[in-house]
Amino acid sequence: MLVLLFAVLALVASACSSSSDDTSDGGDTTTTVAVEAGGEAATVRVIMEEVPDTDIVKGMLADFNAEYPDITVEIEAMPYDQMRDRIVSSFLASDPTFDLIIVDNPWMYDFASAGFLEDLNDRIAATADYNYEDFSAPLRDIAEVDGGVYGVPFYNYGLSLIYRSDLYEAAGLEAPTTLDEFGAAAAALTTDDVAGIAMQPQKGYKIFEEWANYLFAAGGSIQDADNTVVLDSPEARTALDTYIDFYNSYAPENSLNWSFDESLRAVAGGQAAQMISYNWMLPTLNGADGPAGDLAGKFKVAEVPGGISVLGAWYWSLPANSNVKDASWTFVSWITSEAQAKTRVIAGGAPVRNSVMTDPDVWAQGFGEDYYKTVAAILEDARPLADGPNAEEMINVVGEELNAAVAGQKSVDEAITAAATRAQEVLNQGG
Amino acid sequence: MTRWVFMAPLLALFAVFFAYPFGYSVWISFTNLTITKQGQTKFVGFDQYLGLLSNSTYLASLRNTFMFVIAAVGLELVLGMVIALALHRQTWLKNVTRSVLLTPMFVTPIAVGLMFRFLLNQQLGLIPRILSVFGITIDFFGPRLALPSIIAIDVWQWTPLMILMLLAGLQSLPEEPYEAARVDGADAWFTFRNVTLPLLRPVIVVAIIIRALDAFKVFEYVIAITKGGPGTATETIQYQVYKTGFQFFRLGEAAAMALVLVVIVFIIVIIGYRRMVPR
Repeated sequence: MLVLLFAVLALVASACSSSSDDTSDGGDTTTTVAVEAGGEAATVRVIMEEVPDTDIVKGMLADFNAEYPDITVEIEAMPYDQMRDRIVSSFLASDPTFDLIIVDNPWMYDFASAGFLEDLNDRIAATADYNYEDFSAPLRDIAEVDGGVYGVPFYNYGLSLIYRSDLYEAAGLEAPTTLDEFGAAAAALTTDDVAGIAMQPQKGYKIFEEWANYLFAAGGSIQDADNTVVLDSPEARTALDTYIDFYNSYAPENSLNWSFDESLRAVAGGQAAQMISYNWMLPTLNGADGPAGDLAGKFKVAEVPGGISVLGAWYWSLPANSNVKDASWTFVSWITSEAQAKTRVIAGGAPVRNSVMTDPDVWAQGFGEDYYKTVAAILEDARPLADGPNAEEMINVVGEELNAAVAGQKSVDEAITAAATRAQEVLNQGG
Repeated sequence: MTRWVFMAPLLALFAVFFAYPFGYSVWISFTNLTITKQGQTKFVGFDQYLGLLSNSTYLASLRNTFMFVIAAVGLELVLGMVIALALHRQTWLKNVTRSVLLTPMFVTPIAVGLMFRFLLNQQLGLIPRILSVFGITIDFFGPRLALPSIIAIDVWQWTPLMILMLLAGLQSLPEEPYEAARVDGADAWFTFRNVTLPLLRPVIVVAIIIRALDAFKVFEYVIAITKGGPGTATETIQYQVYKTGFQFFRLGEAAAMALVLVVIVFIIVIIGYRRMVPR
């Protein structure tokens, strides 16, 4: 019963005390460069998410081992919901489970400031021809905490508008650039059988991730330059009013608990005309073996209405308590190098390097010039949902209030006021 | 001395698997232990517990959890009793019927949660599709029905356990009181109320306690389907504990949240047991 939970809590907690010792002097903390081929044999245990980008990385391991036969990379892929617990447990263990992890952007600040991650500044500087500045600037900013660099971008999941180009053409529509145009397009495309927009108003991360695009389009912000929460604004109220109006008018009936996967299924199944979702879904939807079946090839991607997207990204990070950090960095610096980044993106991976998104070879062999230029435009001025301590909790409390407003349990005014107050409290708690 | 030797294995297991984790949990509930701030842990007395009094999401989750347990276990008891009484009289295809009826409880709850998430999905699910044929539209996970839907899912999965326990109880009852009731001309309802229920009372009490303790742990359906929403409509204690401890790293506060529930459940179990089981 509950005691079992306590046992788990306590065991995790008891491991905390030992791990602080381990991280203080454990592992190799000296400045190192990537080991060359023929170096000491090592096994790098990697935790990743079960997504198409992970499959692409797995497909590149043979090429890596052709160059570095002494490094074995073991990838354990799992659903998103399981990852954070496993990663934190590995941080706290005296004998870590993982030598290389991927970090979601809301986790970065807390992991880095807790000392769980290795600062990569020296390794980046010491890696020949790495061209770190080539990574999209908003992506680099997230992993830079108090002067340290705690992750290298793996792939982006910036939000975009994904729409059915055939329906747009039939209705004589252009991709919307404002919320008003977006609403008008949704109204024109809504029929008895097809919803104008598949939305993701599920409580927590999902609704905040979608609604924040409306907020940016309305001219609002989540935090100011000093990281103070500025959600309690007229723009936030306008954005939430608009979001609720669109949900009631254009979203599939009874979709209040929908997450991105339900929206994807609805769009792929022809039950919705468009959605605000991750830009990497376009290759998935247009793929011949993808979920859209006969509709494959009819989807296009555009910047979100308003042009400022919510930015999400995954990063390669080295746990501070790993004993094979040199080998881990060898793999990371290889897979994120300019040459391999190009290979990965051509295979369908979501881009993070500017040079890859402007490369004609990538346009020709990947998904076309338009797609990569749109992704580059999305990343150019995209913003994360939270910056600073306790980002995960801050996102959750705001998402709870927004969902309550859409459900009709709170007024827009009450929800925005509460969201701003609670978000600031959460940030203060972590400060 | 000998008795202590014989008890030693049990005491050792008790100490390792219960006393230490439980004691440690009590201890950390009096601290501000946070995974990401290990160097700043300090004793805070009852601050974590006092903080819960003003934590609206926690109070909502307490209310939801109790509503869930009372409704789910109540329905499971009534349904379980009806089905157990029917099965008790059954002679034809007895084993096949019982096997089919018991199937839901062998499915892992997270799979059940995901299954119903899609079965009840308005656009993609089978059940709304069937209902739409009759012109009926139900928002199963909307603000009003989200908690009842979660309760119904629990009833679907765990009524079989109630059936199993009650059926075992029915089959172990002595035949003589029933023969006496028949001789006295008692009808079926009178016999059930005055013979079956009193004789079955210890089994019913144990069945309720087992199911209630399990129902207090409701977590999988919530994380798989609603994430506690809409708003706080399906927030439950275990989901709160999980979020606070593992998502937000505040183990001290999470321990306090869980301990409050432990104390409440402990009191309810003792009171219930004393009232329902004759001395």
